[in-house]
Amino acid sequence: MSARVTKTTPHYLMLLPFMLLFAVFFLYPIVSGLIYSFFDWAGAQPTTFVALENYTKVLNSRNFNKAASNLLLYVSITVPLGLTIAFCLALLVDSFSGFWAKFFRSAFFMPVVMPLFLAATIWRWMYAPNFGLLNTILGWFGFESVQFLNNVNTMLYCLIAVDVWVSAGFNMVIILAGLKNVPKHYYEAARLDGANKLQQIFYVTIPSIRPVLFFVVTYSLISALQVFDVPWLLTGSSFAEYGGRANTLLFPVMDIMGRGFGAVKFGQAAAYGFMLTALIIAVTAVMFALRKKVGEV
Amino acid sequence: MEVSVARSKATGTRRASEARRRISDATVWTVLKWTIAICVAIVAIFPLWWMFNVVFSEPGVPVSINPRLYPTSISAGLRNIAIIFTETGYLRAYYISVVYTLLTIGGILLVSSMAAFEFALFDFPGKKIMFAIVMLSLMVPKAVTLVPTYLLTVQLGWLNTMQGLVVPGLASAFGLFMLVQFMKSLPTEMIEAARLDGANHFQIYLHVVLPLSRNALVTLAILTFMHTWGNFSWPLIVAPNPTMYTVGQVVGLFNAPYSHTTVDIAMTANLLAAVPPLIFFLIFQRQIVEGIASSGSKG
Repeated sequence: MSARVTKTTPHYLMLLPFMLLFAVFFLYPIVSGLIYSFFDWAGAQPTTFVALENYTKVLNSRNFNKAASNLLLYVSITVPLGLTIAFCLALLVDSFSGFWAKFFRSAFFMPVVMPLFLAATIWRWMYAPNFGLLNTILGWFGFESVQFLNNVNTMLYCLIAVDVWVSAGFNMVIILAGLKNVPKHYYEAARLDGANKLQQIFYVTIPSIRPVLFFVVTYSLISALQVFDVPWLLTGSSFAEYGGRANTLLFPVMDIMGRGFGAVKFGQAAAYGFMLTALIIAVTAVMFALRKKVGEV
Repeated sequence: MEVSVARSKATGTRRASEARRRISDATVWTVLKWTIAICVAIVAIFPLWWMFNVVFSEPGVPVSINPRLYPTSISAGLRNIAIIFTETGYLRAYYISVVYTLLTIGGILLVSSMAAFEFALFDFPGKKIMFAIVMLSLMVPKAVTLVPTYLLTVQLGWLNTMQGLVVPGLASAFGLFMLVQFMKSLPTEMIEAARLDGANHFQIYLHVVLPLSRNALVTLAILTFMHTWGNFSWPLIVAPNPTMYTVGQVVGLFNAPYSHTTVDIAMTANLLAAVPPLIFFLIFQRQIVEGIASSGSKG
């Protein structure tokens, strides 16, 4: 017995710091959050048990519908667009060799290094009305200046542009690593069969790097569903003002932050968080199921 | 005879024209390729370069935000930096961010390398279930733990403190996963040999496994640096007091729509926030790119 104890205790001792932190700052918050989501908060503590009322309150609020439809539109544009651009950039970099391959890879990757808050603030100035960079350029060509971040028709695309600018290099690097693993003789065989460049991409490259593409799509989906920093900073950057004109750039995580830390409705914020988590887990599960299915074909 | 000569002539010219077409195709493709690559590189880098130029531009010109292709006044830029550091709370925020980032990196490296050492190299009761739970947590979005973790931090009395910023982020499932993946590939013979030489469990971790994992640790440190320096939402809620503002929060204030700073000052604040990650990128380019690439292709 004592021999067994001395044999296994060092393992648990080494694990202790991580597992303790994990239990206190992940497991406990998850469980307590679930409990909070069934309570109403009138002051500093949860007071009355309200069952599912927080959930129905969130679901029935006008902001929820707005945030949900914004999210749907945002995800359905930004994920495919981001993937396509990253894939094209990876092919482009891959077609260079030596110094220039490294140079372009670094150049395209540079925005990824920037913190998101910085990307948002730089672009905010570029979008600025009257004197912003983009409006100055439009002015050269005789166009009137556009209120990019105050116009419900342009706001979403402004956000997507920042998003693609900041994440294309990240996804490109992952796809590039995948491209390096495609055996060269696949392309030779395809060329002998008379496949042109485009056919080679569709029939050799894409099938060969399917797992990598799946990772990129899953990862971009998960992060797009949690979009926060950039729209928050583009639209006001305070708990009093966020979401922009007509809440065009309101997204669930912003709504959670607003409800929890602006309006101090922690129960609703917790309930909202769990609904978003359910959505993200469902989407991830679908992606894994798809990957398994497509991967086997 | 004549027929065959004619035929060979015909195939000859066909071959020549084909070759010419192939060459012109190749040049068109090369020109196109370079044009696109240069354009994309400009789009990627220009906003950063422009930010730099706005900071280092002749002062007093209201159009200083207009396209600036090159810096026009180095002294104006240095003056802007001096103003930021002496007349605003930026220096303090810089200090908070640096300490926050360094403590987070140190903590994550220590805590997750110890756990990864056990998960990757040994078997003991409960290992599988513990590891599975930690890995499942990778799927859970930050948004769901944000509110309850904040409330816990309040209960601990850690609002507006350094431990409130740092400690809740230390149990990094991603860091653990990365190190476990790496340590699994370490040769077990080395550990056996060290044990035969009389090294105890902790000595093996410290003197054998940690040195062998240097590359993975450096990569994790760099990725943690980028993530912590760029972390915006956690400091925003857990350190609402101006004395605990991080660079991200201060940058947000400078760029807020009703802040009364001028463009060049706001841009200076932005530039100063960009300098540490840029320096890191220039030094550790290879590790950053490979770290990200391997996190994707293994997944």
